[in-house]
Amino acid sequence: MEPYLSIVIPVFDEEENVGPLCDELCEVLESVDRPFEVIVVNDGSRDETLARLQAIVDERKAQPAGQGTIRVVCFSRNFGQTPAMQAGFDLARGEIVISMDGDLQNDPHDIPRLLEKLNEGYDVVSGWRKDRQDNAVTRTFPSRIANWMISQIASVAIHDNGCSLKAYRSSVVKTVSLYSDMHRFIPALATSVGARVGEIVVNHRPREHGQSKYGLTRIWKVLLDLITIRMLIHFYYRPLFWFAGLGFASFVGGLAFALASVVLYMQGEVGLMFLTSSLLLFSLTMTLVSWGLLGEFFVRLKKKRTVTMI
Amino acid sequence: MSDTPQVSVVVPISERHDRMDKLYSIYAAELREMKQSFEFIFVVDGAFPLAVDALKKLQSEGEPIRIIQFARSFGESMALMEGFRQAKGELILTLASYIQIEPKDLHKVFDAYNAGHDMVITRRYPRKDPLINRIQASIYHYVIRKLTNTSFRDITSGMRLISRKVLSEFVLYGDLHRFLPIFAFQRGVNVREIKVGQRKEDTQVRVVNAGAYVRRLLDILTLFFLVKFTKKPLRFFGLIGVGLGLPGVLIIAYLGVLRLFYGVGLADRPFLLMGILLLVFGFHLFSVGLIGELIIYCHSREVLDYRVKKIIE
Repeated sequence: MEPYLSIVIPVFDEEENVGPLCDELCEVLESVDRPFEVIVVNDGSRDETLARLQAIVDERKAQPAGQGTIRVVCFSRNFGQTPAMQAGFDLARGEIVISMDGDLQNDPHDIPRLLEKLNEGYDVVSGWRKDRQDNAVTRTFPSRIANWMISQIASVAIHDNGCSLKAYRSSVVKTVSLYSDMHRFIPALATSVGARVGEIVVNHRPREHGQSKYGLTRIWKVLLDLITIRMLIHFYYRPLFWFAGLGFASFVGGLAFALASVVLYMQGEVGLMFLTSSLLLFSLTMTLVSWGLLGEFFVRLKKKRTVTMI
Repeated sequence: MSDTPQVSVVVPISERHDRMDKLYSIYAAELREMKQSFEFIFVVDGAFPLAVDALKKLQSEGEPIRIIQFARSFGESMALMEGFRQAKGELILTLASYIQIEPKDLHKVFDAYNAGHDMVITRRYPRKDPLINRIQASIYHYVIRKLTNTSFRDITSGMRLISRKVLSEFVLYGDLHRFLPIFAFQRGVNVREIKVGQRKEDTQVRVVNAGAYVRRLLDILTLFFLVKFTKKPLRFFGLIGVGLGLPGVLIIAYLGVLRLFYGVGLADRPFLLMGILLLVFGFHLFSVGLIGELIIYCHSREVLDYRVKKIIE
């Protein structure tokens, strides 16, 4: 039976949490009354997480069949949260894919509401941890700034990009691909391919077991990724346009210097600096236009990615 | 040979090689001892008639040997790739074309493989080379370990045991064969380095010339580029581009202010040229990063960032 819902949960060293999480999740999902699958991606955990997961799978098999199954995907070593999520998305078979954290801070009881919102005609529904239960200095405050910047730069109007609890139509996760640390940009990337993005306020619970694996160091990476995303969203569809724009600006600069040197020449002087500057800027124009053409070529080689909406 | 051998031994023959009949006999004897069925594939990368004659003689005596002669020298990576392509065994053992490693340590390599590692590489220990070579090698490996976040201590050792399935994921060219363990590790393959004894033949005829150092430096540069660029080109090029372009902008702004408000002429100031040049450089580098990022984004669907060991369901 093909599942309707796929829940993707990356876990790394969460031995205390996987048991309660799976129990709670299955209880909620059974009440939704649609076939589901839970995909737990074990990202090279060093503790007892894998053994506990194995036990959960065995136990579930022994029970009389419910609506859903649990699949555990084991990585050969630790790869990070984004690859783990991507693996889950790649393996997901459901029409609707929901991602969430493995640390019990997301509340599975929010899932029915996410589904409701999605069925109002959205392609991505993001959770918004309005009342966040984390350290204010190292987690909540930096994340506010990051979210403000993401919404400014990538033009997605949601409050909490970093929240893992999100629901997607499978066409979105099968279209938008993640690389490096890009999972928090799915809404932004999804918007760029034409998806409708919405959000609802979700419950956020304090961490009870285990350690948080985030610190302040990731902020720098997020900033750089942000610039990349901005570029990608705008450049991907028309690289030539953007490069040609820059090239035009440098052409105008070159022209100004060329005129200045002509004026100097009329007055009987040789404006060597102006002449050289203008040549340099002209050469930059040529290069930029060539890069643009090259970019256009690469993009044309690939099919356009757009989410088809009904 | 009727049935497929368990192990295919691939030996790329390069400029520096020992007597092939000797090399073959000592390793073949050890493999027979270990009750492994095997075939040897010698890839002759250049014109080495003496080696080929010796091998042909062995072949005519019924030894399981295949010889692939390249029309000219294509380099060790190409030789290995061709050997891998021809290999029939599920397991592939690579050897250098000179006797590097004590044959009696071969079983250690197989033991490590059977213990569940997909790729076993060897570390020659203790080293018997001259001191200068050892120092050079340890600096080289130190830099590589830091650069790639791995823990390998001897990536230049020729003896490696790899399953063919894993090997088929990699494309080697140029000098990249040396970095195979590093690429494999980054892709999540279970790589293990074990200590083996070094043969005295390995330590002979080492003329330490300047070329060797230059090559090592180039190796490290190659690795640096591959590690830094292939994932996040814009992070790297963008940073340098901004680092160069920003001073350029500042210089131009400074000169502009002087011109507009203080009436200082621009025409005879080489400083202007400096500003423009920096700006042009900055834009060039930034564009390279941008194009790189574009290419990666186009192909990110085909590049898997992870390796699944098993799925429990």
